[in-house]
Amino acid sequence: MTRRLTILTAAALLTSTAQGQGATTVRLGFFPNLTHAPALVGLEKGYFQKALGSAKLDPREFVSGTSLMEAFAAGQIDIAYVGPGPAINGAARGMPLQIVAGASEAGAVLIARGDSGIKSYKDLSGKRVAVPSLGNTQDISLRHLLKEQGLKAQADGGNVTVTAVPPADVLAAFAAGRVDATLVPEPWGAVLEAQGHRMIGNEKTVWRGGQYPTTVVIVNTKFAAGNPALVTAFLKAHADAVAYLNKNPAAARTVINAELEKLTGQKVDLRVLQRAMVRTRFTTGLDLDALNDYAALNVEAGYARSVPDLRAFILPGALKK
Amino acid sequence: MTISPPLQAPPATRRAARGRMLLWQLLGLVLLLALWWLVTDVLRLYPPYVFPSPRAVWTEISYGLWGSGPQDGRLLAGIGNSLRRVLVGYAVAVLLGGVVGLLMSAWRPLRETLGAYLTGVQSVPSIAFVPFAILFFGLNERAVLFVVILEGFIPIALAVSGALMNVPPALRVAGRTLGARGLGLTTGVLLPSAVPSILTGLRTAWSFAWRALVGGELLVSASASLGAQLEIGRNTANMALVIATILIIGTIGGLFDALLRALEARVRRDYGLEVPQ
Repeated sequence: MTRRLTILTAAALLTSTAQGQGATTVRLGFFPNLTHAPALVGLEKGYFQKALGSAKLDPREFVSGTSLMEAFAAGQIDIAYVGPGPAINGAARGMPLQIVAGASEAGAVLIARGDSGIKSYKDLSGKRVAVPSLGNTQDISLRHLLKEQGLKAQADGGNVTVTAVPPADVLAAFAAGRVDATLVPEPWGAVLEAQGHRMIGNEKTVWRGGQYPTTVVIVNTKFAAGNPALVTAFLKAHADAVAYLNKNPAAARTVINAELEKLTGQKVDLRVLQRAMVRTRFTTGLDLDALNDYAALNVEAGYARSVPDLRAFILPGALKK
Repeated sequence: MTISPPLQAPPATRRAARGRMLLWQLLGLVLLLALWWLVTDVLRLYPPYVFPSPRAVWTEISYGLWGSGPQDGRLLAGIGNSLRRVLVGYAVAVLLGGVVGLLMSAWRPLRETLGAYLTGVQSVPSIAFVPFAILFFGLNERAVLFVVILEGFIPIALAVSGALMNVPPALRVAGRTLGARGLGLTTGVLLPSAVPSILTGLRTAWSFAWRALVGGELLVSASASLGAQLEIGRNTANMALVIATILIIGTIGGLFDALLRALEARVRRDYGLEVPQ
């Protein structure tokens, strides 16, 4: 039913538009994942609200890049933490968005169900593998990984069944034996591992030696044009959150856990969270080569027909030197 | 009193009328396309990521059906899988619905219990059964087939039992007088006379099954299918693909419906149920 609702959200765009000059609220989209940790820290520590001053922060939680981008297209989100996949697809199709910063890198792992008999990538042949959603960042890298192993998804004439299951539901899907493996963002990988499931691929072997963005920050270009000071202030707070994560990982874990509990009602074991955090890097910089490679994989997977000129969508100062 | 032969328009006139109708339908389609083009390409009322132009949708259709790129032809593969699923599900639904309908018409307690429940189940949208089907069968084709069969068999069961109940008593008496009993009476007299009503049930069941299929595929998108194409279009901000898929779903659904409608009309004419105008 939530899918139905998000389709309606897209329809609502006919009536609403992005906020122009002098916005009094900043609507922030994000997911309750460790790969969105700068958002979680910025919210829990109050960095964002402090930086925005009199403008009110309106945080909105999403479960997938798809529903977030629909809200973004409908002009209901001003700034968002999202995977590079939805960001690139949206920008390439003409959505008014700009990628303004990096947030996290790596942080996605391939976990197989304990009793699935899968011990290496090769064993994925004939199995069912879950990704957060079709066409998302993990789906794209899974398809590339399969290709490297000489395997193919069922939809492309191979024998690996790639199916969409939201990360939080993968725990239940594993328990019921409905899927055999999953490529998930953290902390879900570490949570599954703690439940006795097996890690087949770590964040480095999944793709590009772990050198790839998992979450980026995007802004609505109309909002940015009307409120440059707010965007600058937000980015400063984002940088503070990233710095906090890198300087005080132990304290940050408690902060993240508090925010995750607030959002999802679930507490993650701190040791599990620590393991997940080791596999995730936090940065404000963007790696243009990795983003270009990513856009090429998007074409390889058949989700786009050409690699767009990414420089046109990226705030120049956001790129890593 | 004399019985006059059934009035029928001469074939030439009928053909001309059908031709005129086709022309109007074609004109309507062209006007619709022109309006679409006007709104998107000329007036640019909506951004393309919300409402793409007819050209962008046509591009997706051509890539998806006969494109030669490495990942092209996915719509065609989706059509193949979806048709296979719906035909299997529909065939099972027809068999199951036929048997249940027969039993219901023959046995009053069953009709009054199961029949009433089936009417209730029919009012539940098929998509509501998908989560249950996933838990029961898993994220696979069987879950989709379950929903298709469930949705398809109910209208058939209700149509078959209703049609058999509505056979004029005179026919029943005539059959008995001529020596037909039990199953023989059912297959030899009652069923043949119920065919037109059963055909209407078959057509309703088809549209229910087709809708249930696409709804199920949207949530269980494991292999190439029309539902998965919708989901991929949505996930990759590709509204042109979404609209292309919707057009294909509508075209296939409409074609089958027209086929069944033609069959129904033919049978009704043969049964003398059509009153000429």
